[in-house]
Amino acid sequence: MSKQQQKKNTLNPVMIVSLGVVFVAIALVLLVLKPGVQSQVLSTGSGTWSQLVVAFITGITTGGLSCLAVQGGLLASSLAHQIEQDYVGQNANRKQRQNVAVRPNSAFPIFLFLIAKLVAYTLLGALLGWLGSYLTLSPMTRAMLMIAIGIFMIGNALRMFNVHPIFRYFSIEPPKFITRYIRRTAKGTDMFTPLFLGALTVFIPCGVTQAMMATALGTGSAAIGAALMFAFILGTSPVFFIVAYLTTELGAKLEKFFMRFVAVVLLVLGFVTLDGGLNVLGSPFSFQNLTRSLFPSESSSVSAAPLVLAVEGELTLQVRNDGYFPVSLKAPADKAFTLNLVTDQTYSCARDFVIPALDYYQLLPDTGTVQVNIPAQKPGSTLFFTCSMGMYTGQIVFE
Amino acid sequence: MIKKTFKIPDMTCSNCAMKLESLEDSLEGVREINASYHRLEMVIEYDESKLTDEQIVAAVKKKGYQAIAA
Repeated sequence: MSKQQQKKNTLNPVMIVSLGVVFVAIALVLLVLKPGVQSQVLSTGSGTWSQLVVAFITGITTGGLSCLAVQGGLLASSLAHQIEQDYVGQNANRKQRQNVAVRPNSAFPIFLFLIAKLVAYTLLGALLGWLGSYLTLSPMTRAMLMIAIGIFMIGNALRMFNVHPIFRYFSIEPPKFITRYIRRTAKGTDMFTPLFLGALTVFIPCGVTQAMMATALGTGSAAIGAALMFAFILGTSPVFFIVAYLTTELGAKLEKFFMRFVAVVLLVLGFVTLDGGLNVLGSPFSFQNLTRSLFPSESSSVSAAPLVLAVEGELTLQVRNDGYFPVSLKAPADKAFTLNLVTDQTYSCARDFVIPALDYYQLLPDTGTVQVNIPAQKPGSTLFFTCSMGMYTGQIVFE
Repeated sequence: MIKKTFKIPDMTCSNCAMKLESLEDSLEGVREINASYHRLEMVIEYDESKLTDEQIVAAVKKKGYQAIAA
């Protein structure tokens, strides 16, 4: 049988296993993240749900390649030793170190590696979320954390673009004794080695993973932190598996291209997170608040506000799954009034209502009305309100 | 044993440092390698009777990087 024929034959199981892993990953994520099956914490907040979906999509689009660039060598090294050992057993006179890509028996070690990695990162997510619960005591702390995470993501993206040497410090270098230990462990030849190495990858996370770890810290919940890391690592697994199996190492050109792509996605995610933090902080300089002030559209215009000034001394704000309506309210200055927050089967994070300037935070009922006393404000001032994640925002303009 | 520093300008992440440190296992005469992505350099401690600068540069090149003696 020629070499070409051999290669052709070995690709079939590769594709089957790869597709299998993709489908299993998708099925698992749908099962785990399905609102009806989740814990109460997850099911009551579609904000959390969308956060998990974003984590999964980030994993499947950029995380897998980014992780592979950092951890792929480790896996390849482990596989190379293992396969070499197999090969030496079959033919003592020949050496084969590099050709790990098309050997069918390399699928199982990669699978073990990824399973161990998934379990380890899920536990790490739980730990980070639990640690974060001590940091997220108030929306203000959460805002500060989101801003820090956003800056970290942007810094990492700029590092990938090689903008300035200073951005290299956004990459965390693991201690030498850990990298040395991992490297030497990679020489093992038993099935335990890829399993152990998969778990050890928590010590050498890639830039995207580090950003996701920071996000898990920001969730302030062990359950959500674990779910977030699970969704992300699950997302990375199919790509990691396919590419690791087929090539074990990306070509230099391809790696450069993927790193650019990863950097762009990380940059966007960084700005979104930073903007969310600014929203929760009640900053007029967040993208949403700034654009609303500079370019008031019809839907968000203050001119729509008088419609809700039906009752004297009261304003009504509809809190819906897709945000606050109207997004811009007009209120009389120098006069206290009551803001009625009306929910009707609202399950999104819009329920976590925050008015940063008043230090007001309330988890609204999914259906009902909550009244907030707004003290008198100066003419021309603006009071920003937001959900606790900084996704949905709005404002009250005092005239 | 001598200690030498090489600049590695094309490192892109901390994994590159780990890759370079793996030369410890394959390059004869090396006692220790400490590579840093933050500083873009590699400090190598080796037995000069067993290893030359040229061999180090060649080994680093094989890993996909350029080494410049500092």
